Amino acid sequence: MIEDMYELYKTLKNEGILFCFIGPISQSVVEGIGAALRHKMELADTTITVSQRVFSIFVEQMQNVVNYSAEKVNKDEQIDGDLRFGMIVVGQKTNGQFYIVSGNHIHKDDTERIMGLLDTLKQMDKEELKALYKEQRKLSPPEGSKGAGLGLIETARKASQPIEYTLTSSVEGRHNFLSIQAVI
Amino acid sequence: MDELYIEATKSSPLVKFDPKNNVLEIVGESYPENAVKFYAPMFEWLNNNLGHLNSQPLTVNLNVSYFNSSSSKALMNLFDVLEETFQKVGKITVNWLYLGENETAQECGEEFQEDLEFLPFNLVKIENG
Repeated sequence: MIEDMYELYKTLKNEGILFCFIGPISQSVVEGIGAALRHKMELADTTITVSQRVFSIFVEQMQNVVNYSAEKVNKDEQIDGDLRFGMIVVGQKTNGQFYIVSGNHIHKDDTERIMGLLDTLKQMDKEELKALYKEQRKLSPPEGSKGAGLGLIETARKASQPIEYTLTSSVEGRHNFLSIQAVI
Repeated sequence: MDELYIEATKSSPLVKFDPKNNVLEIVGESYPENAVKFYAPMFEWLNNNLGHLNSQPLTVNLNVSYFNSSSSKALMNLFDVLEETFQKVGKITVNWLYLGENETAQECGEEFQEDLEFLPFNLVKIENG
């Protein structure tokens, strides 16, 4: 690993990466990296609206991993303090636009439902996304869900372009690897 | 009505009811890991106390500069509960406070307002500095 570090560093820097995190994601990681991200945007004179959008998508994507990643770090099925393995990248394109990419394993059984939602969101305009968000907000949360099922809709609403995703079959039979990218 | 006090943390707001002036306050940012669990004591309090609204009206002041999607759901749920009580006995006012420069907080307040039919829901702009 030590031989690859400089190459990795250069690659990430060249891609405009501001933050890259891989590992178990907990609420304290969300708070810690979130605070650093806000600080960085403040120093760079990012407008309040853009900085709020970046922070909001960052929180939703991180909490998505905390709530739904198939890769649990602690084996006990406890409700709180879950540590789920995942990856998040926050970067800035050469034109100044921020982007956030998350990556984590999901259960094969959940794949169809999540892909269906992502495909629907991709085709919706801002008004349709707003209507769906408000409709879902009035409903009771889906069984077994800690979130409100609203996180992805919120991400799509705050992004300036349709969100993109890729799904890769994982070698471990029961999971797929899902990456979601939002550009702000 | 009983007192209610939940201290703020980095990712969850102060939730406080002061029985002296009948004001329920929610102040801060709201993106806890589990919003349902975080707001459960508040809903329990509402459940136990909304039936005892006395002659003094209840004021609910929210100054939530940022909230995540699951908190958004909890807040909608709060407003639905308040609206239901308002329709029966009246005497409830909600104030959604936001800093003048925080357009997002203003829009969020407007979106709650759009989804409420009867509950008095005021958007209150606080001037900066």
